[in-house]
Amino acid sequence: MLTYLLRRLALALATTAAVVIITFALVHLAPGEPFLAGAEGRFVPPETVARLRERFGLDRPLAVQFVRYAGNLASGDFGESFARHRPVAEVLAEALPNTLLLGGAALVLSLLLGIGLGMAQAARAGTWADAALGTVALACYSVPSFWLGLMLLLVFGEWLHWLPVTGMADVALRAPVGALHHALDVGRHLVLPALTLALVNGAAVARFHRAAMIEALDADFVRAARSRGLGEGRVLVRHALRSALAPAITLAGLSIPALLTGSVLVESVFGWPGLGRVAYEAIFARDYNVITAVAVVAGVLVALGNLLADLGVAAADPRVRRA
Amino acid sequence: MRLTAFACALAIALAGCARREAGGSAGPTGGTLVIVATGDADVLFPPSGAVTTSADVAGLVFSRLADLTFDLNTVDDAGFTPQLARSWEHADSTTLVFHLDPRARWHDGAPVRAADVAFTFDVYRDTLVDSRFRPNLDAIDSVTVRDSLTAVFHFRRWYPEELYDATYHMKVLPRHLLDTIPRARLASSAFARAPVGSGPFRFVRWEAGATIEVAADTANFLGRPKLDRVIWRIVPDLGSAVGALVAGEGDAIEVIPPAELRARVRATPALRLVPFAANAVAYVAFNLTGRGGKGVHPIFGDRDVRRALAMGIDRATLVRSLFGAEGEVPVGATARAQWIWSDSIRQLPYDTAAARRLLEARGWRPGPGGVRWKGGLPLRFTLLYPTTSRIRQDAAVLLQAQLKPLGVDLRLQPLEFTLFEQRSVRKDFDATFQARTLDASPASVLQLFGSEGVRQSNYGSYRSAAFDSLTRRAIAAPTRDAARPLWREALGALNDDAPAVFLLSPPMAAAVHRRFAGVRIRPDEWLAGVAAWFVPPGDRLPRDR
Repeated sequence: MLTYLLRRLALALATTAAVVIITFALVHLAPGEPFLAGAEGRFVPPETVARLRERFGLDRPLAVQFVRYAGNLASGDFGESFARHRPVAEVLAEALPNTLLLGGAALVLSLLLGIGLGMAQAARAGTWADAALGTVALACYSVPSFWLGLMLLLVFGEWLHWLPVTGMADVALRAPVGALHHALDVGRHLVLPALTLALVNGAAVARFHRAAMIEALDADFVRAARSRGLGEGRVLVRHALRSALAPAITLAGLSIPALLTGSVLVESVFGWPGLGRVAYEAIFARDYNVITAVAVVAGVLVALGNLLADLGVAAADPRVRRA
Repeated sequence: MRLTAFACALAIALAGCARREAGGSAGPTGGTLVIVATGDADVLFPPSGAVTTSADVAGLVFSRLADLTFDLNTVDDAGFTPQLARSWEHADSTTLVFHLDPRARWHDGAPVRAADVAFTFDVYRDTLVDSRFRPNLDAIDSVTVRDSLTAVFHFRRWYPEELYDATYHMKVLPRHLLDTIPRARLASSAFARAPVGSGPFRFVRWEAGATIEVAADTANFLGRPKLDRVIWRIVPDLGSAVGALVAGEGDAIEVIPPAELRARVRATPALRLVPFAANAVAYVAFNLTGRGGKGVHPIFGDRDVRRALAMGIDRATLVRSLFGAEGEVPVGATARAQWIWSDSIRQLPYDTAAARRLLEARGWRPGPGGVRWKGGLPLRFTLLYPTTSRIRQDAAVLLQAQLKPLGVDLRLQPLEFTLFEQRSVRKDFDATFQARTLDASPASVLQLFGSEGVRQSNYGSYRSAAFDSLTRRAIAAPTRDAARPLWREALGALNDDAPAVFLLSPPMAAAVHRRFAGVRIRPDEWLAGVAAWFVPPGDRLPRDR
C-alpha cells in the first residue's frame, strides 16, 4: 500500500508541475496587455505601461520570468496581483474556503442525487420510468451550468422569492449576528449555486451508478439474498448499493475538476465570492500571477481528489493495490 | 483680452463662493442603500483606483476641495460648490488660492490642513504612484502651503478651467496617515484596503468579491448625509445583478444598457428608472494611416470616401433598432451631459444617393458581388470591436447591413477586450469601434481627435490644423457663452472631415428602489448627490431600520 501511495503522490506532484509550466506559458504567450485591461476604455500612456511591465518583471525574457516565478513558488510566494495590488496568496486565502464550501456542498448533493437517481433507475431498468428519469438526467447533464443557474435564480428568487439569489450572506444584516444565524444565512445562500452544480454533476453520477447497480443486481450474491426472501428495498440498499459504490467513489474524485470549472461561471452568476470568480476576473484582467496561482491550486485540488479516490478504491478492492 | 477674461473669472468666482451647499441637510435621516455592482473595487486609494466601484466608494469616503454642480459647468467658477475649501480666489492669472474650512476633519478626528492638499498633489503627480489622473494635472506647476488653512495652486499658464483641474481630479488625502509609506507601495498598503477620508461617509468594511460598506459620518462638517449606510453587493453578471434587484436584494444599479433588462426593471413595481444625460459616446474611428501608423490608408486617407461612408449610415435607425426610443444619436464628439452639446452642430446628412455620387467621383466603381473597386483595390475593410460589448456587437452587424448596398464590404472582427485595446493603441486596424465615457470637460476631445492626441487616444491619427486651432480657441474662451459658438464650429469641422462616425449614445438610466426620495443623478458621478437621498420613515424596510 505504501508503494502504491508513493507512486500516486509522485504522479500528483508531476501533474501539478506540468500545470504550472503549461499555464505560465499559455498565459504569458497569449496576446493582450495586462496593464490595458483595467483601464475600462481609458487611454493608458505607453510609458506608464512600460513602467508597470518593468516593475513586475514582465520586460524580461520569458525563461527568466519563469525561473524567477518557479523559485518564488517553491517558497510559497505566488507574487502580487497586478489588478488588485495585493499578494496573490491573500486573494486565494479569501476565496478558496468559499469555493471549497460550495464545491463540497455540491459534491455531497450531487452524490446523493446521482446515487439516488441511479438506484431508482436500476430498480426499474427497461421501464418507461427508467427512460423518463434517464431523459431528465441527460437534460440536466446537457444544459450549460450558467443557464441552469439563471433559470433557478429566476424561478426561486425572482418569481417565488423562496431563496436569496446572490452572494453568500445578507450584506445588509447589522452586525453582530449570532453564529447560528450566520450559518443559516450562508446555508440559504448556498442552496441555489450548490444545486446548480449538483444537478449537472449528479446527472453524470446517476448514469454511471445506474450501470453499476444493474450489474450488481445481476450478481450471484444479490440473487442469493433475494432467494433468502429479503425485501427488494433491503436487497437494493444493503447488498447491491454497497457493491456498486466503487465507481461512485472514483467518480467523486473525478468530479472535482468538473465542479471547479463549473464554479467559474456559477460563482459569477450567483455572485459567490470564490476561486472561480477570481479566475474569471483575472482572465479578463490578464492578471498573470492570479491566473497561474488559481491553476496551481486547482491542479493540486484535482490531484488530491484523484489521489483520495484512488486510495478509496484501493482500500475497497485489494486487486487494485496489487496492480 | 486675457486680463478681461481673468477679471471675469474672478468676479464669477467670488459670486460662486457666496453660495454654500452642505453635503446633507435638514430632513429625515436613516435608511440603507444597497447598490448592486457588477465589479468589485480594486483599491480604495483614489489615485490608483481604476474601476468604477473604486471610484464610487472613494467618491463617498473622500472629498475634493470643491465639486461640480449638477449642470457640469467646468468653465465658470460659479459652477462649483465648496467642499473642503470654503472659498477661493484667483491671486493672479496663474495663481489660485484655496481657503480651507477650519471645521473640516478626517474621519480619525485630525483636522484637514493645507499640507494635506500639497501632499495630495505631490502623490497624484508622482510617477511611482502612476495615477491615471496624472496627465490631467500637467498644467499645474506646483501647490504650496501659505498657512495651515491656505493652499496655493501655481499654474504654468492661464486657462478658464484652472479651478476644474485643481479640484476635480484629486480627492484630498490624509498626509499624516500616508507620508511614511513608500510611494510605490501606497496602492498595496493597508490604507488602500481600509481608507480614512473626510467625505460624507466613513469606511466600514470590505469583504473582497462580496461587499463594501460605508456609514454616515454623523459629525461631518458639511452636515451628516441622510442615509445611514451605503452597501455595495458585488454581482459580476449583469443579468443576475438585475435579478438581485428584482428579488429585493438590492436597491440600485448605476446603468442598465440592454433593453430587455430595463424591461425587467420596468415590470417590477418596487423599482423605477431614473434617466440622466448621457456622458458616453460610441463611434467608429477610421485609421487614416497605414497599419502601425505609417503612410496613408488606401481607403480612409481619402476625406471624400470617409464622408461617403458617414453619409451612407442611417444612425437614427441604428439607434432605434438597438434601444427603441431611448438611445440618442450624438451630434458629434460630445454627449448630452457636456455643456457644449448643441443640436445646431453641423453634421453630415444621411444621404445614400450623395454617398454613391461621392464614391463614383472618387473612382470607386461597382464590381463583382456589388462591391466597389478602384485600381484593383476593393472597398473592403475590417471593423474591430470588443466581445465584451453586446451593444457594439449588435451595432456592428447593423452597420455591415447598412453599408452593403453602398458597395462596401465590411468585415467584422470581434476581439477579446485587452486585445482590442492593444490593436487600437498600436494602430493595427482599419476601423475600430470605440466607446468613451467623456470627461465633464469638453477639452478632452483634443486627446481623441487633436493632433497632440495622435500618440494617445487619437487612434485613427486624424490631424487637422483647423480643428486644433478652433478647439484651442474654444478651450481658451473665458465664459461658456463665448465658448459655445467656437465649440459648435470646431465639432462641425470635425464632422465635415469624418475621421469617425459618431454612432450612438446609450440610454442612461439608473434603476432605483421607489422608497428612496431626493434622488438626483449627476451624469459624471452618479452617486455625487447621494448624501441627499433619503427614505421617508413610512417607507422603510427592515434593512433601513
